[in-house]
Amino acid sequence: MTHCLEGKHLAFAYEPGQDILTDVDIAVRGGEVVGIVGPNGAGKSTLLRVLCGLLRTHSGQVRLDDKVLASFSSIQRARVIAFLPQTVNPVFSLTVFEVICLGRYPHVGALGGLGRHDLEVAERCLREANAEELRDRDFMTLSGGERQRVLLASILAQEPSLLLLDEPTSALDIHHQTEFFALLRRLCRKGYGIGVVTHDLNLAARFCDRLILLSIQRRLLAQGTPIDVLTEDLLSQAYSARIRVGVHPLTNTPLVTADAPEEEP
Amino acid sequence: MRERRASSALVVGVALVSVGIVIASLTIGTETLSFRQAWVEWRQDLPMHQAPTLSIIVQQRLPRTLAALIAGAGLALAGCVFQAMLRNPLATPYTLGIASAGALGAWVGTIVLKALNISFSFLSFSPIEAFSFLFAGLDMLLIYLLATRHTRMAPSVLLLAGVTLGMLANAGIMLMRYLAHPELLVSMERWLMGGVDVLGYEPVTTLLVGVTPCALVLLAQAAKFDQLGFGAELAAGRGVNVNRLQLVTFGIGSLMTAIIVSKVGPIGFIGLIVPHAVRGIAGSLHRVVMPLSVIVGGAFLCCCDIVARKLLPGETPVGIVTSLIGGPFFLYLLMRRKFTDWEV
Repeated sequence: MTHCLEGKHLAFAYEPGQDILTDVDIAVRGGEVVGIVGPNGAGKSTLLRVLCGLLRTHSGQVRLDDKVLASFSSIQRARVIAFLPQTVNPVFSLTVFEVICLGRYPHVGALGGLGRHDLEVAERCLREANAEELRDRDFMTLSGGERQRVLLASILAQEPSLLLLDEPTSALDIHHQTEFFALLRRLCRKGYGIGVVTHDLNLAARFCDRLILLSIQRRLLAQGTPIDVLTEDLLSQAYSARIRVGVHPLTNTPLVTADAPEEEP
Repeated sequence: MRERRASSALVVGVALVSVGIVIASLTIGTETLSFRQAWVEWRQDLPMHQAPTLSIIVQQRLPRTLAALIAGAGLALAGCVFQAMLRNPLATPYTLGIASAGALGAWVGTIVLKALNISFSFLSFSPIEAFSFLFAGLDMLLIYLLATRHTRMAPSVLLLAGVTLGMLANAGIMLMRYLAHPELLVSMERWLMGGVDVLGYEPVTTLLVGVTPCALVLLAQAAKFDQLGFGAELAAGRGVNVNRLQLVTFGIGSLMTAIIVSKVGPIGFIGLIVPHAVRGIAGSLHRVVMPLSVIVGGAFLCCCDIVARKLLPGETPVGIVTSLIGGPFFLYLLMRRKFTDWEV
C-alpha cells in the first residue's frame, strides 16, 4: 500500500518571532522522489523534521494517510517513516550488520531481541543498499560513501514506506553522490516515497520527480517538476544571487550554476 | 545467531568465574576458613558463639561479599549507562558529582550531629549515610533544574553542571577538613576511601532493595542505549523518546549511585573500567554489555575486597585497591584498544 505524507500550511519557529517556516505545503507519496532545495538557512532541514514528526508544527498540519501525524505513537510512525539525519556520529563501534539490525528497533520489543524474521529483513536491506560486501566490517572504518549506504540499509530495516533524508550526499564525492541518488531512484521504483534535502541542484534535477524550492524568507517559493522549478528567475530570487540555468549536454536535465561576484579590479 | 551464542557462552563463563570469586571471598580473609568446618558446625547445631567458623562466614564474610557484589554491580552498571547517555567514554557514576556531594553530606552529617550530640536512624540509614544520600539528592535536583531550564534536557549542560557541582562539593569537603577536629578527621578520611566491611544484613538488605529495581529499570533500556549511540536524531526518528531516556538514566542511575555511595563510600574506578573492559571483549551492544557489566562489576569489587583484606596489611580500604588495580588495567586497555571510536 502506498502511503502519503502531506503537510499543509506548515509553520515553525525555534524562538518566538523568528520563523523558520511559514505557510509551507508539501507532499511526499509512494513512488516518487521529492527534492527539497533552497539556500542555506531556508529551513529545509527543519521542514524535514516537521514532516517526520520530530518537530511539532506551530500551525497547519502534517497528515499521514489522512490521519494527523501527531496522533501516531513514535513507534507506529517509525514503522512508516524513516529519517536519516545529516550527521550520524556513533560513539560505539559496531559491525555493519549490527548497525543495520538497529533499524529493527520499531519492530522488536523493549529489550531489542531479534528474531529470525528480523535478521532476514536486515539481510535483505543489506542487499537493497548494495552493501553486502561490507557486512562484517566495523562501521567506524567505513568511507563516507560506504557509511551512507549502510545507514540507508539501516533505515530500510525499519521497513518504512517513506524515507526522509537530510543531505545524504553532502559529504560524498561525485561518483558516490550519483550512485546514492541512483540507489534512491531504484528504491522509488519499488514503491518507496522519498523526500530528500539536497544542495546539489544538478543531482536534484536529474533524479527527483518533483522539487520544493524554499526561499530565505522561509516560504515555499515554488514546487513542481525540476524543469518548472529550476528556472533562472525563481532560483535567482531564492538564492538572492544571479543563477544561470542551461541544459546538461549529456543528461538533458537542467544545469544550474551561480555567477561569481565580480572581482575587484 | 552465531554472535548471540558466543555472547551467551561469554555470559555463562563470566558468571562461573564470578561464582568462584564469591566462594573465595567467603573463605579467604584474615583467617582462612573451610566450608567443611562450617558444615560440621552447622550439623552439630551449635549456637553461633560456639561455632566460630560458621559465625564468621554467616555474619561477616557473607554480608560483606554480598555488599561487594551489589555495590560493584551497581557502580559498573551506572558507569555503563552514564557513558551511553552522555556519549562520553570518560563518564563514571561520579561524573555528575554524586560521590562528592555524598561525601560532603557525610561530613556535614558527622559534624552537625557531633555538635548537636544527637543520633537517629532512618530506614536503616545511619545519620552519616542519611546525610550523604540527602546531599547526593540535592546535587541531582540542582543538576536537573539546570539541565531542564531550556525545555529539553541537554547532556552537555548535565555534564557541565555535574562537574561544577562536584568541584563545589569538594571545596566544601576541604573546608570541613580544615575546620574539623583531628579525631573526626581520621574517621571521615576512612569513610572517603570506601569500604564494604559491613556488619550484619541490614546494609545488604538496603543495598539490595535500593539497587535491584534501579538496575532492572536501566537494563530494560538496553536497546534504546544502542540507538542513542548512533545519535539522538537517528534514535528519535526510530521512535526512541530520547528526552525520557536521558531523564530516566540520569534519575535512576544517580539514585542507584547515591544509595551505593551512602552505604559503602565513594569506591572509585569500577564505573569507568568495567564497562570498557566488557566492551573490549563482548562488543558494544548494550543488551550484552549491561548484564555483563553487572556480573563483572560485582565480581571485580569482590575480588578487590579479597585483596584488600588478605594481601595488604590489616583491613585496607577497598577503594584504594580498586584504584590501584583499576588504574593500571585501564592504562593497559588504552594501549591495546583504540578509543578513537568515541568522537567526543
